[in-house]
Amino acid sequence: MADADEDVIHAPANASTQPEVDLSDETQDFRFLNHLNFFADSSPGIPRRGEKDFEPNPTELQADVLAASRGAMHNALSYPRLHGAKTRVIAFYAPDGYVPPAQPDRAKPKAGEDGKSSESTPKPARPLPSSARISPDACVYVPSPKGQFFKTMGQADSSSRVWLLPEEALYLIERGSLDIRWPSPSAGPGEEDLSVPMSLQAAYACFMGRGGLTLERYSVYTGLKRLGYALVRAPGWCDDIEPQDTDIPDASQAAPAKLHGPGLAGILGSLFNWIHDPLSTASTATGPIIGTGIHRHYMDVYRKLAIIPWYDPVTAPERHPFDTSPPFRVVFHIYKPSTPFKKSAPPAPDFRIAVVSTRDQTTMPTMTQLGALLESTPLDPPRGEKMERMMYMRLRHGYRNVVMAVVDQGVVSYLRIADSAFGKEKLYENKGGPQGPKRSRTNQKPRKR
Amino acid sequence: MDFQPDLPIPISYVSGRYLLFSIDAVTYLRREHHICGVLIGTLPQIPQQNVFLGLPLELMPEEARLLVDKGVACIVDEAKAHDGMNTLLEEDRRRYLRDLESQGLHVSRIQSDRKERNREQTLKKLEEKKANAKAKATASAAAAQTPTVPEEATSTPSPKNAAIVDLFNAEDRSSSPSTALASTPPQGAVAITPATSYPPLSTPPPSSHLSAPAVPPSYPLFAHLHSKGYFLSPGLRFGCQYMAYPGDPLRFHSHFLVVSYDWDQNIDIMDLVVGGRLGTGVKKGFLIGGAQKGIDEANSEADRVDTVRAFSLEWAGM
Repeated sequence: MADADEDVIHAPANASTQPEVDLSDETQDFRFLNHLNFFADSSPGIPRRGEKDFEPNPTELQADVLAASRGAMHNALSYPRLHGAKTRVIAFYAPDGYVPPAQPDRAKPKAGEDGKSSESTPKPARPLPSSARISPDACVYVPSPKGQFFKTMGQADSSSRVWLLPEEALYLIERGSLDIRWPSPSAGPGEEDLSVPMSLQAAYACFMGRGGLTLERYSVYTGLKRLGYALVRAPGWCDDIEPQDTDIPDASQAAPAKLHGPGLAGILGSLFNWIHDPLSTASTATGPIIGTGIHRHYMDVYRKLAIIPWYDPVTAPERHPFDTSPPFRVVFHIYKPSTPFKKSAPPAPDFRIAVVSTRDQTTMPTMTQLGALLESTPLDPPRGEKMERMMYMRLRHGYRNVVMAVVDQGVVSYLRIADSAFGKEKLYENKGGPQGPKRSRTNQKPRKR
Repeated sequence: MDFQPDLPIPISYVSGRYLLFSIDAVTYLRREHHICGVLIGTLPQIPQQNVFLGLPLELMPEEARLLVDKGVACIVDEAKAHDGMNTLLEEDRRRYLRDLESQGLHVSRIQSDRKERNREQTLKKLEEKKANAKAKATASAAAAQTPTVPEEATSTPSPKNAAIVDLFNAEDRSSSPSTALASTPPQGAVAITPATSYPPLSTPPPSSHLSAPAVPPSYPLFAHLHSKGYFLSPGLRFGCQYMAYPGDPLRFHSHFLVVSYDWDQNIDIMDLVVGGRLGTGVKKGFLIGGAQKGIDEANSEADRVDTVRAFSLEWAGM
C-alpha cells in the first residue's frame, strides 16, 4: 500500500513538466521554503512536493523531521508584512464608506493628513453624482496610489484618491502591499500623527461581511488573484437584490450581451429549423416513422428517425442575472492575465464564476438552479477552426459555460459547467467520423452499399 | 518554537467563520492538540502562488467546538472587539506606535546587515576573480608564447574590476555610516503591518466570549477520530467529509476518507460502492461511522462521542 502510494507521488516529481499535479491539493512540507531566499531580488520558484511517510513510528528520525517541518512552517508563517520606505503605499480606512472629498483643492496636495481629518467628522456617506462610479461598498482609500495593483483594482474619485472595495483592500494588506491606517481621532494640522496601522486581524474583522463579502467569496478572489487573474464583481454580487429595482445595472451589463446573443441565436436557430424539419415527424401516429416515400439517401432516413425532442441551448431564453437563486449566481467576472484589462471599461470576461459554500449549501444544485445559472451567462458557442474539426471539444466547450467554485472550509474546488448540445451533433452527417479508429469503418461503408 | 500561549486561545469569529491569526496559537494547536485547520491567507514573502499559504488559519466549526469543549480556546466576536480601536487612549496609541517603530528599526537593521554581508560576499568573489585573472595574465606572460594582444585583452578587465571594487568600497564606506545614521530617525524604520490586534487591544473579558460553535451531525465521528490521534481536515475535494491522517499532514498521507451517517439512517448501497472504490483507488480506506446515541438521548456531545462506532471498507484485489 505504502509503496504504491509513494510511486504515485514520485512519478510526477521526476517529470516536472506534468501540469496535472496540483500542488495545492495537499498539505506541503514547509521545509522547502527554507531553500528560498526571500531577500533575493529574483522571484523564487515554487518548490516541488516532497516525500511523506506512510504512518508515524517511534523513531527519533521521524520526530526530528516533523519538528523541522513544523519549525519551517512556523518561520514561514511568522514572516512579517513589511513596507520599505520606497514601496510603501498608505491607505486609510473609512468606516462610513465613500465620502466625497470635502475640498478638492485641499485634498489634492496633502491628502494624507487632510483627507483623514475630513473622514473622522461624521458625514453622510452619499456619493456625489460626479463620482457615481465609486461603489458604496468601498471603505478604504489610497491618497497617493502607486504600483501595479491599481491597474486592475480600485476606483479613483475626483481628487485622485483611489477607493478600494473590501476584498481588494484585504488582498493587498494580506500580501503586504498596503499599509492601511485606522482613522485617527483628532489629528489637527499641527499635531502629531497618531494614526495606528491596521493589523491583518483587524482588516478581516472590519472588511469581512461588509457589502456582501463572505469568506468563501474572498477565498476565491484571493486564490485567483494570486495566480494573476483580474477579478471584478459581477452584477449578481448582491444576494438580496430583487429583479425589479435593478434597472441601472441591467442596462449597462446585460444589454451588450443581449445584442449579440439573440442575433447569433437567431441565425443558428433558423439553421436548426432548416435541418430539423418538423414535418418529417408528423406522421408517426398514423404510419411508419420514416414514411412511405422513396428514400434516395440514408441521411433522409436518419433525419426522419430523429423523433426525440432535444434541448437546444442556443434557443434558450437569455436570463437576467438576478433571475437566479443564490448562491448559484455569477458573482465575479474573471480576466486572464493575458487579456488587456481596463478598469474603466472592462472587456467581456474570460470566465464567470459562482461561489458556493459547502456549509451553507449542502446539496447539489437542482436542474432549475443550474439551468438558470447557465442561462444568465451570454451565449458562448464553440468557435474556431479546431472546434469545427473536433466534435468532442465542441461538446466539452458547450454553448454557455460558467465556473462554480465550491469552497469547503477554505479548500476551493473549481468546476466548469457547460451546456453541451448533443442534439446538434448529427453523427450520421459526419462523413469522416469524429476520430481515427472510426475511419476504418467508413472505409467499409461504401463496400457494403 | 515550543512556545506556550496563554489559555484559552481566542478564536476569531469573523462573519460566521472561525479564524486564527496568531502564529503561536497555530503552531501550539497543531503540536499539542492535532488541530491543523486550513491556511487561507497569502504569504507576503511569495505572494503569487497557491501552494504555500499563510495566515489566517480557518478552522472548521467542529475544530473550534472541540477546542472550546476542551477548554483550550474561546470564541471572540472580532468585529465587536475591534470597536475598541475607536476608544483607544492617546498614550496607548503612542506606546503602540513606538513599539512598532522599534520593531521596524530592528527589521531594517537586519535587512541592512544582510545587504552588507551580501555585498561583502560579492566583493570577495570579485577579488578572487581579479586574482585569477592576474594569475592567468602572469602565467600567459611567463609562457611568452601568446601574442601580446590577447594578453592585453585578458589584463584589461582586471583594472576595470579593480575600479569596480573601488567603487563598491567607496560606496560601502560612505553608505555604512549613512545607514547607521538613517536608522536613528524614524524614516529608517520599516513600516510593519502586524498580524494581530492584541496589542493594542486588550484581551477581551470572558464575559464577552461567544457560546460554543454549532456543529453538523457529523461532529461525534469527528471528535471520536480526533480522540484516537487522527488529524482531520475537510475532505469534500477528495470526495468525503473529512480526510483522516495518521499524523501531521505535513509529513503523512491520509489513511481514510471519512463519511458520517446517523445511527438509524438508511445507507444507499451505491454510496458504499462509490466510496469504497474511490478510497481503494487512491490507496485509502473508506471509513463510515456515527454515534449510537441521538442528540435527544445524550446529555452532551461528549456523551455521544463515546458511543461512536466506525467501519472501514476496502476493495479486495483491486
